[in-house]
Amino acid sequence: MTSEPLISLEHLDIGYDQTPVLRDVQLSLERGSFTGLLGANGSGKSTLIKTILGIIPPLAGEIKFGRIDNRKPILGYVPQREVFDPIYLVSSFEVVLMGASRRVGPGRRFNSAEKQFTMKCLQQTGVANQSRKRFSQLSGGQKQRVLIARALATKPDLLLLDEPTAGIDAAAAEAIMELLVSLHKDGITILMVNHDLHTVRRYVRQVIWLHQGKVLAGTVEELLSPQKIEQILELEIS
Amino acid sequence: METLREIVDPHFLLRNSVYVSLLVGFACPLVGMYLVLRRLVFLGVALPQVSSCGIACAFALHSWGIIPHFEHGENALAFAGSTIVTLAVIFLLSVLERRSRGIVEGRVGTVYVLAGAWSILLLVKNPFGEHGLLDRLKGEIIAVSDLDLGVTAGTYILVCFFLWLFNKEFLLISFDRDMAVTLQKNVIIWDTFLFLLIGLTISMSVLSVGPLVTFGFLLIPPLTAHVVASSMRQFAVIASLLGGGTAFIGFALAYAWDLPVGPTDVVLLGFIYAFVFLSKRMVTVIGRWSLAHQSERSAGFSPPQRPNR
Repeated sequence: MTSEPLISLEHLDIGYDQTPVLRDVQLSLERGSFTGLLGANGSGKSTLIKTILGIIPPLAGEIKFGRIDNRKPILGYVPQREVFDPIYLVSSFEVVLMGASRRVGPGRRFNSAEKQFTMKCLQQTGVANQSRKRFSQLSGGQKQRVLIARALATKPDLLLLDEPTAGIDAAAAEAIMELLVSLHKDGITILMVNHDLHTVRRYVRQVIWLHQGKVLAGTVEELLSPQKIEQILELEIS
Repeated sequence: METLREIVDPHFLLRNSVYVSLLVGFACPLVGMYLVLRRLVFLGVALPQVSSCGIACAFALHSWGIIPHFEHGENALAFAGSTIVTLAVIFLLSVLERRSRGIVEGRVGTVYVLAGAWSILLLVKNPFGEHGLLDRLKGEIIAVSDLDLGVTAGTYILVCFFLWLFNKEFLLISFDRDMAVTLQKNVIIWDTFLFLLIGLTISMSVLSVGPLVTFGFLLIPPLTAHVVASSMRQFAVIASLLGGGTAFIGFALAYAWDLPVGPTDVVLLGFIYAFVFLSKRMVTVIGRWSLAHQSERSAGFSPPQRPNR
């Protein structure tokens, strides 16, 4: 693992409709890191992820990407599973295949190699047996695995996940976290939004904590020790 | 049977009208699918009305001498008016959508009611309004020239070809816009292209069959197909075949019973939708009942006996 930054946020203001949620964010994400993004509801976690992904334009500042094999890193995105409308009659396989769209030009069909790779991604996340099932009919945990498979189908260098364990049972959440750990071991850099301090403490190495407009960054030991948590929360009281 | 034989006869006097009905029936559901999937059903009501307003506007400008007269140019004028106004409104709505001004339903509803009011006002103030134009707004399904048929067929073939060719892109930007952005797709261009195809289809359809029938074919076949389809491909195929089939049967019924074609088609679509929906519900209820009955029997459960009186 190297400590070369994969992404650097420089004096970044983020928000919607010219209304900043976070100001002057200065962060860097190291290549090969597994980072948890913590914060209360409305603290700007999802906005930060969407800004890094290019979905929301930054209000000010700059996002700099490190180079991998002389190219910009590929970002894989795992959104919250509730955002998908069940009206779409798409199978899990078709959802994952969408991840390969970057490599298949407009008007061109997915070839057999892309379809095989899609199946491999489904196998890797343990939902190959659900490939023909309609995406909207899957359980929460299965949907999450399919969405991770779709992000893997993009062949990402960095995986950004928006609350991958929210609203699913403890066993399924643990299985998803184990899957992320194994993906991290395979060399993928991970940035994950998560509410659950226990999960973050157990699985991740670096933490970014968004608290009352401030951005705190450090290792799990530095930020999530009882004393530090107390200190941060005392800030809120005062 | 005699009516059907008459209609399919290549020398049938109204054969072009049959062909145009079929084209509208097959093509409209394919673009209507995207309105249903994106939950833009109101837009499916408003755009045909806007398209009618465009036709009324073009004819009014022509009658006031602002647009010069040219021989056999009525259809071209109507098409230009319909297409320009429809695309302009789609563009305006998309700009407002991106800037998040007001409520979506409010904007679309306002567009619908304004387009309807303007159509009537322009019609009243147009000296030629009584002739031709009113029929055209109702849908001139009776008199269709070979040229009109050719233009309609050409447009729909082009629209269907692009829908097929870029199906992957249109599905991606509709299903998960954010993901499309992260995959470096220019969602604004793809959205514009999709709505251009929708606008073109609606303009052409309103010219041929009027706003009411266009709305009917845009939405009822996809809604019906969605009840029974299990994949996107099935959804498209069933919706299109249902639209085409209903257009043909509707024409035959209207011809046999001397009814206006457009409303006959829409009423028939309504009956089919109700039948399919109720059948599906019934199958689901029977399935659940049968499953519950089976599990009761396998668990050795016996229903409570009615007490003897």
